[in-house]
Amino acid sequence: MSALAPVGTPAANPAPDSTGPRELALRFTGSAAEYFRIWIVNVCLSLLTLGIFSAWAKVRKKRYFYSHVVLDGTPFQYLGQPIPILKGRLIAAAFLGVWYLATHIMVELMPIVLIAAFILAPWVLVRSAAFNARYSAFRNMTFHFAGTYWSAAKVLYGWAIITLLTFGFAFSWWQQRIKRYMVGRSGYGGASGELAARGGQFFKIYFIAGLATMAGVGAAFGLAIKLGFSPFDKSSFLIVIMIVTYSVYVVAYAYLRARMTNLVWNSTQLGPLRFQSRLKARALLGLYVTNAIAILASAGLLIPWAMIRMQKYRVEQFSVSIDGNLAYFKGSSTSTVQAAGAEVGDLMDFDLSL
Amino acid sequence: MKTTPPNTLTAKRYDGRSPVGEPVTILWSGATVKVIGASIAQNYLLDRLSVSPRIGKADRFVVLPDGTQLQCLDVPLLDRLRQEGKAEGVVAWLEQRWHVAIACLAITLASVGTGYVYGLPALANQIAARVPIEYERSFGAKVITWLDEQSYFRPTALDDDVKQSIATGFVQLSQDLPTAPHLQLEFRNAPGIGANALALPGGIIVITDQLIDLSESVEEVLAVLAHEIGHVEHRHALRHIVQDSMTAAIAATFTSDVSSLTLAVSGVPVLLAQTNYSREFETEADDFGFALLKRHDISPEHFATFMERLHATRGDKNERQLAFLSTHPVTAERIARARAAAQQ
Repeated sequence: MSALAPVGTPAANPAPDSTGPRELALRFTGSAAEYFRIWIVNVCLSLLTLGIFSAWAKVRKKRYFYSHVVLDGTPFQYLGQPIPILKGRLIAAAFLGVWYLATHIMVELMPIVLIAAFILAPWVLVRSAAFNARYSAFRNMTFHFAGTYWSAAKVLYGWAIITLLTFGFAFSWWQQRIKRYMVGRSGYGGASGELAARGGQFFKIYFIAGLATMAGVGAAFGLAIKLGFSPFDKSSFLIVIMIVTYSVYVVAYAYLRARMTNLVWNSTQLGPLRFQSRLKARALLGLYVTNAIAILASAGLLIPWAMIRMQKYRVEQFSVSIDGNLAYFKGSSTSTVQAAGAEVGDLMDFDLSL
Repeated sequence: MKTTPPNTLTAKRYDGRSPVGEPVTILWSGATVKVIGASIAQNYLLDRLSVSPRIGKADRFVVLPDGTQLQCLDVPLLDRLRQEGKAEGVVAWLEQRWHVAIACLAITLASVGTGYVYGLPALANQIAARVPIEYERSFGAKVITWLDEQSYFRPTALDDDVKQSIATGFVQLSQDLPTAPHLQLEFRNAPGIGANALALPGGIIVITDQLIDLSESVEEVLAVLAHEIGHVEHRHALRHIVQDSMTAAIAATFTSDVSSLTLAVSGVPVLLAQTNYSREFETEADDFGFALLKRHDISPEHFATFMERLHATRGDKNERQLAFLSTHPVTAERIARARAAAQQ
């Protein structure tokens, strides 16, 4: 779900003051030692309350990451409240429970569950994007997401059918439509995002990643056979194949993440704002690998450190420039932080993004 | 922001109409505060203002009654204002102290450790004691139907008299056990799986033709079946489901905030933790099996000789590589324990 959200990191979407094209200062001010304390206190409380506190913990975590991304001297604000998050989690847990039942015990429920998932998917997409936008604020003005069920369903399923009909060839165009939809419906201060990236640009990235993956896995098979592991001597052969396949997957994932994030941000415009993301696949890969090793070796205690250095890298490689004035953005009575706060407690107000 | 006298605070004012801020000064005097800027000079009662929750060292936002926000440094003066999200204030207080963090770490490690070693197995036992084995039956039936449909299992090719003698021995072995009415022995030809026996949920025990072909006496087959009966008697299928899903759920609490990729890596300890439970179950089933055999005057030695033969045919090369991931305790160890049980 979050992969589809236009605001991929809390680092993004902005606004400041003065004229002429200029860069707005962007900093990440979080520290691993400080976040470690926040993390361990919240993990401990979540554990002691059998998971109920985890909704409060999520608010603290999000608040930390939003509040320590400082654009033009002002931190972003996270306004989400624990109760809607808890409600969302209960709903998601119910879905998962039904899914587990349908896949393991009552297989005859599967068609009904699939149809329900098919009908609900656009709603979940719109709902979670709207929640995220509504409860993210900068300078006392919240973001907004203006998606509707039908518009989301059209984008999600219209191009999915074409993708199926072309045996997956149109996948990149489908993804581009979804991203363009998510960016186009997101807004701040009366302005909506605009994504100029074309399907062909998406295709190039997916194509290279796909080709590299196939080449890598093929080479792994070749190598394994050459080294004398017979496919019949199953376990050692399988282990070699698994390790290589997983490594290739990690490399392809880092490449996709870096290129896609860059492509989407670099072709996004929000009023007078332009963005630049300069993520490097190699650097991301290095972070993934070292983070994973550190987390494993420390039995999880370095999770906070890993999260902080990832966020630091992403923010450092990101910049926001403005051609004009931040006064371009106009708030309204419904976009103030106070208005967002008044909505909490609404029956339909819940966060589905886990 | 520059040093200011203790009762004044510089801030930026955001009215919610525009993201362009106005520098203001907040003056504190007793029960009132005054906000002074180019376009504002107003007094507010202290209790009419509130402030956003403290988080790390980030700037905070003082909220005026009309919803206007004043961004300022997190200074002790702000403690005098009404705090938004009271519960968060307590958490924020805890988060700022290293000794609290260390205490939380100790509590977390202790509760995860005791939960893993005692809590989860005890919980699974409680659940298994309360859920009758009949409830597992339809699940077990689904599993065997699925294995049949996927052609992992084919109809047995054994002679009727072989089947008959094993089935008779099986009934004799299990007749006094509490789960006896639920036990059901199934013979299957499974070329893809090889010599093996499985205890499915609900008391269905499957034995492959390949295992029977490999055995040299009915006692050896019964020794394996006694082990499988141990799995049923100890309700391992259900306990497995409970313990594995709880382990996964708790691991998710810790890792909920790392990316999906790192999550895949953090799956390794979860897998190891679950594997450790499986090994305990195998040992438990072995012990049960040995005791059951002895009660029926069959020596656990048969189990040892059969395992040795199985081991020799499979080759131990793979086994050693996979020992740490293996759900079965290393064969040599099991054989030694069977011999020890036979001696007693």
